[in-house]
Amino acid sequence: MKKTKSSKIIIVAFLLLPVIHLLVFSYIPILCNVYLSFTDFKGTGTPKWIGLKNYKRLVTDPQYIMVFKNCLWYMLVAIPQLILAFVLAVFVNGKFRGLNFFKGVLIIPYLLNGVIVSTIFIIFFNNSGTLNLILETIGLGALKQQWLQNLKLVNPAIASISIWRYYGMNFIMFFGGLQTIPSELFEAAAVDGATKWQEIKYISIPAIRNVLFINILLSISGSIQVFEIPYIMMNGSNGTTTPVIQIQQSAFADNRVGFAAALSIMVFVIVVIAVGLQSFFNKRGED
Amino acid sequence: MIRESKMYKMLRYIFLIGACIFAVGPIIPLLFMAFKTGAEYSATGVLTPPKNWLNMYNFAYAIRVGKLGQALINTAIILTISLGIQIIFTTMVSYVLHRFEFFGKKIIMTLFTLTMFIPVVTTQTVVFQIMYKLKLVNKMPSVILLYSGVGIVGIYIMFNLLASIGKELDEAALIDGANYFTIYRVIILPLLKPACTTLLILNGIGYYNDFYIPNLYLRKNVQTFTVALYQFFGNMATPFEIVAAAILLGIIPIGIAYLCLQKYIFYGLAGAIKS
Repeated sequence: MKKTKSSKIIIVAFLLLPVIHLLVFSYIPILCNVYLSFTDFKGTGTPKWIGLKNYKRLVTDPQYIMVFKNCLWYMLVAIPQLILAFVLAVFVNGKFRGLNFFKGVLIIPYLLNGVIVSTIFIIFFNNSGTLNLILETIGLGALKQQWLQNLKLVNPAIASISIWRYYGMNFIMFFGGLQTIPSELFEAAAVDGATKWQEIKYISIPAIRNVLFINILLSISGSIQVFEIPYIMMNGSNGTTTPVIQIQQSAFADNRVGFAAALSIMVFVIVVIAVGLQSFFNKRGED
Repeated sequence: MIRESKMYKMLRYIFLIGACIFAVGPIIPLLFMAFKTGAEYSATGVLTPPKNWLNMYNFAYAIRVGKLGQALINTAIILTISLGIQIIFTTMVSYVLHRFEFFGKKIIMTLFTLTMFIPVVTTQTVVFQIMYKLKLVNKMPSVILLYSGVGIVGIYIMFNLLASIGKELDEAALIDGANYFTIYRVIILPLLKPACTTLLILNGIGYYNDFYIPNLYLRKNVQTFTVALYQFFGNMATPFEIVAAAILLGIIPIGIAYLCLQKYIFYGLAGAIKS
């Protein structure tokens, strides 16, 4: 379109507030955080420059190394989570009775908020909860555990909740990916006498390789940002603290804003790497 | 389509029914618990159904003590205002970035795109200071303000639709003497309606369920529904069967929305993720 005076007015008028919002609530804070991460800022007063001290603390103090290690559990459970979601998407992708019912029921967990999910799984993992009751009923009473008090078991236990909570999201993405495969491909395979298993192996899996990759990276960037479940269920106790819980604790309870800023930057860098790889592969998939 | 063998069909049903049990199973003890009396709760196992399915005592107690009604109203106010602002702003930004060429366009587009790299959780140390200076902490405008920002997913959803609407219509209107604002209001906005619905559902669910932001900014005085549920949950003095009832009440609004909008929700989520 031609540039006229009225076009200039509308460009400025329509962009001004959203761009200011973007700068004030995203870019300026992250830049401030970079600066604050090199200081001992306590929330009030003037920040004092302390160089790399915050970062050094983060990578040497076992207390904080553990916080990042906890994220590994959340990455690990992403594997069964993605397999489950993929198998479901393959099964649901077709025409059969009850298709909409299954689709509807399967994404229910994804729609529930963190407090609801936490309550459900407190009941599940409690000493007299669902899991122990089931174990006892099927004669495996010997395996009964204090799931949330046992320091070795608590992290894998609450991390596994992610499988239940988020497989629905992966399922929707895989399903969307499978829907974009042209039906001629399946028809041609049918003419050639392919079996269902061959169809899955040679058409479905290669076609959604990119979607799979995006899901893996989403899981990685999600794992590093885990907050709600360990915070609501455990308040970070019994060694379940995650980086985001630690940020909140340091910044708003202990007034160690500078340290929290350094932690934020570490999370930020990990997310940048994960999301960066993701958009790189996303672009390559489009070409 | 490849003919599915009997074996495959059976396998599918077995697997899908199993998955449904996996999806719904953990919720059932909560359902049972919400209808049990206090004595019944301590005497029976979690998998024992309640004696009286009409026992509403827990629900009445939860509503009265938890101030859940007020919290639900607060959430409704926050969602209505912030989603209204966000969606209008998203259509405006998308219209300008899609239809005009101007100096700095690339930079602005890049700024919006790169927000993908900045998780909300990494900026709140500073944003909290800003809100504190603006005296907005513990007031609804803080959360409304944070929710009103234009996101890149929204822009992409709008772009998909704008690309399918030819520029000819805009140009014809321009020749007829319409100004750009009229074009936006009369031509663009109505055509973007489906994209607005998608964005509304997507962020509506996201904000309704959000815990991090309201828990940080609205701890006292005003609360959103999730924070009210959380404080209820965190209060050790509250009997657990009451908590269960409150949580079940928390599922109802999202359940109703889900039943009414099921088709839109599924394709809205799928569409947003694809773009």
